[in-house]
Amino acid sequence: MKQIKPTTRRSIAFYLMIAPWLLVFLSFSLFPLVYGFYLSFTNYFGFNLEDLSLVGLKNYQNVFSDKDAMGALGRTFLFAVINVPLGTVIALSLALLLNHNIRGRGVFRTIFYIPSIMPAIVTTMMWKNILFTGNGGILDRIIGVFGLGPVNWLGYDYALFSLILMSSWGAGGGILIYLAGLKGVPDELYESAAIDGASYMQRLFRITLPLLTPVIFFNVLMGIIGTLQQYLQPILLAGDQLLARPIKPIYLYVVHAFQQIFANQRFAYGMALLWVLFIITLLLTLVVFKTSRLWVFYEDGGD
Amino acid sequence: MKRISLSRTLLYAVLLFLSFIFLFPLYLAVINSLAPWFNPPTAVPTAFKWENYYWATELIDFWRYARNSLIIAIIYVPLTTLSSGLSGFAFARLRAPGSKVLFLCVLSTMMLPGIVTQIPTYILFFRFNLINTYIPWLVWGIGGSAFYIFMYRQFFRTVPLELEEAARIDGCSIFRIYWNIFLPISLPVVATVTILTFHGNWNDIMGPFMYLREARYPLSTALSMVGYKPPGGDNQTIMQVTMAAGLLLALPIMVTFFIGQKYIVEGIVTTGIKG
Repeated sequence: MKQIKPTTRRSIAFYLMIAPWLLVFLSFSLFPLVYGFYLSFTNYFGFNLEDLSLVGLKNYQNVFSDKDAMGALGRTFLFAVINVPLGTVIALSLALLLNHNIRGRGVFRTIFYIPSIMPAIVTTMMWKNILFTGNGGILDRIIGVFGLGPVNWLGYDYALFSLILMSSWGAGGGILIYLAGLKGVPDELYESAAIDGASYMQRLFRITLPLLTPVIFFNVLMGIIGTLQQYLQPILLAGDQLLARPIKPIYLYVVHAFQQIFANQRFAYGMALLWVLFIITLLLTLVVFKTSRLWVFYEDGGD
Repeated sequence: MKRISLSRTLLYAVLLFLSFIFLFPLYLAVINSLAPWFNPPTAVPTAFKWENYYWATELIDFWRYARNSLIIAIIYVPLTTLSSGLSGFAFARLRAPGSKVLFLCVLSTMMLPGIVTQIPTYILFFRFNLINTYIPWLVWGIGGSAFYIFMYRQFFRTVPLELEEAARIDGCSIFRIYWNIFLPISLPVVATVTILTFHGNWNDIMGPFMYLREARYPLSTALSMVGYKPPGGDNQTIMQVTMAAGLLLALPIMVTFFIGQKYIVEGIVTTGIKG
């Protein structure tokens, strides 16, 4: 029997081991992606798969002339611009607070983390039915103590604010990763800074945060992608079934795509809407990556 | 000395205040789930109507939905954990032509908005007559998850080479090396991936909504679609019972988190996820 070279054997092992992932990736990620792109150039409306005709760029032209879509896109950007930095600041601050040598650290960590793993339906249930409620809702009573309100939390003026408030409650999800990152900051740096008489703030801005930028970078990127795709919470806040149509201020871009597909059966148009978002996401990711050289600090000089 | 204890006190005060804010909605959920039907929301315990929890399982087909949730989790979670580990190991420790490009594919799947592929995937499953079956979860389970492949890879890259070489000198095959050496030392990561996968799967509303019909909905989807109405006509949703059902849905999430907390923290530290 001919001897197989070790490198060949390793290649075979590699492909055997990734085979399950690779097969599913090709058939259930890559193929649907390409197929969806194709569908976005057709007149597919749900029942005519056998009889599709190409319509060129019409669906894409419709995306850009659709006032609802463009309005929703702008709103989604606004939501992301507020939500991502706010979430980052909250998670990072909580992690910095917990990074002190304190008693009951584990308990505090759990308390801050738990809201982020609550099922979305449970989170919206309790905010909607108990806190945001108009008639004797708890938030109204709290601000009432300060002589404010009552406020129509889920009405036109406050719905976006309420959505952001609810998201912020779950922002503690990032603390585990930040705490892990903080553990990686070498003690010697703090020791030599202490000898130099640096204050807490100086240490924070000169040592801790710069060394943490790779972790922040990862979280911000995932946060942007997640926020641009957000649709579940607005829908759940809007009504008690998944085809409920949220009011304007929380009518986000993917909510619009979802409505077009499931409520109006405009499948091809929905695919075009989603592909526009996908391309925007790609471009944003690229921008974040390119600019990361300016604000992300890599110990090994970047790789 | 005095200044230090002052800032300590301040630190604890801030932490306690923040804890109060983060716990408050959960506290409200619990006490309102125990309040009498149709009462307005309350911030102080007024009654302890434990029977609300009974009604939560009685007014809708609760246990059937719960069973569906469990079936989906049993199909999906162990498979994803295993498959992701296998791929993660391959990407961390084995070089092969094309492995770099394929790893880029893993990374880009992490960036890909899931919703973009959902409609075409639906068509695919529809063509194979697999709508309203649990087979899609079997398929996804076999494929693993890009995020967890990445996590495993990060961890396996930190394992010293000597460990592997010693085993290879003993004539272990690559699969044996993975199974006997790498998997046992990665238990915190395995536990983390298992628990986080379970959470994502248990909380998923939209996947089952698209690929299944009502009788096969898991609890999360059912609770977003089916309202709790009193028996006999009245069309108003009972907030207290809905809240009780929600807390029942959250219970397995909380329990698994508390059990696995130690591993999750350790798992995230050792994988050192960063950009």
